[in-house]
Amino acid sequence: MNSNAVRLILMAFGLLMSGVSSADVAVVDPYVRAVPPGAPATAAFMGLQADKGDVALVKASSDVARSVELHTHIHDNGVMRMRPVDKIELKKGETVTLQPGGLHVMLIGLTRPVKPGDSVDIELSFSDGTKQQISAPVRKIEMKMPMKHGGHMPAKH
Amino acid sequence: MSRSKLILLLALPILAGLGVGLWLNQVMAPATDLAPETRVGGDFTLQSADGPVSLADYRGKVGMVYFGYTSCPDICPTSLTMMASAMKLLSPQEQAQVYGIFISVDPERDTPANMKEYAGYFHPNFIGVTGTPPQIAEIAAKYGAYYKKAEIEGSMGYAVDHSSTIYIIDKNGKVEDQIIHGASPESIAASIRRLL
Repeated sequence: MNSNAVRLILMAFGLLMSGVSSADVAVVDPYVRAVPPGAPATAAFMGLQADKGDVALVKASSDVARSVELHTHIHDNGVMRMRPVDKIELKKGETVTLQPGGLHVMLIGLTRPVKPGDSVDIELSFSDGTKQQISAPVRKIEMKMPMKHGGHMPAKH
Repeated sequence: MSRSKLILLLALPILAGLGVGLWLNQVMAPATDLAPETRVGGDFTLQSADGPVSLADYRGKVGMVYFGYTSCPDICPTSLTMMASAMKLLSPQEQAQVYGIFISVDPERDTPANMKEYAGYFHPNFIGVTGTPPQIAEIAAKYGAYYKKAEIEGSMGYAVDHSSTIYIIDKNGKVEDQIIHGASPESIAASIRRLL
């Protein structure tokens, strides 16, 4: 099965599971990365699809963290630079995927441990004034990463 | 046009090509040309929650060394998960011969205790260590690992920009391979297995 087909199925599944809220953005397969006990931060990932027109995710909040921010990673010659972003633009009909190594909802100052099997409530606020409540399961991420950045460098002998 | 000018004209692109070639040779000198003292890696001693840990303690085993920090929500857990997934591809006998060391590049916020908890979460053979800021700077420089505090807006105060490389260490404590971010567990396991 190709990845588009998988994405479509996931999207359909996500739509079913989210119960189709009043907001104009479909949230697909949201999840939170399980982190070790005592870890100060983690991230939430999901697919976002604006169904009715261009809109932006401008804010997220959750009771699981003292502070919730929208962040991205800039891969700069092998150096990972994490930076906050003001908003995540969503173009009508396109899916923007928040995923490891890129855009994410950063959960800073965890107020309780985030363990596999738990779920985390997150409120997403959009530029059109709508809000959406999601419940994101906590997952211990296993490795099915895109390989595009991977590779070996020769050891310097 | 005189014959000599014609020859010169024809020779110019060749000479230019030679020049570029020589220049490239200079710029892209193969790593093997480096003097032994410029190779990356080397011994270090840092603090773990269970006392000082030296790379030399692990002679005879094969290791993975990774520089990161516990407030890292994504890149470090991804890399440590890759390392753990690579471990799971090895037999129990092989795993017993392999260690992982997670070195903090955020020595101001990370403690030996939270480094231990963080690294051990991914695999029981992984340990976490930290040290004084100058110690960390010296070791990162030896390994060619980049890190820099980045003041960012928001409640984190600062993030740490860092290179995300898994250093594969042979039984003699030498860096044998550097695996950059995003490599598959299979390729990490293969790199380890070659040295077992």
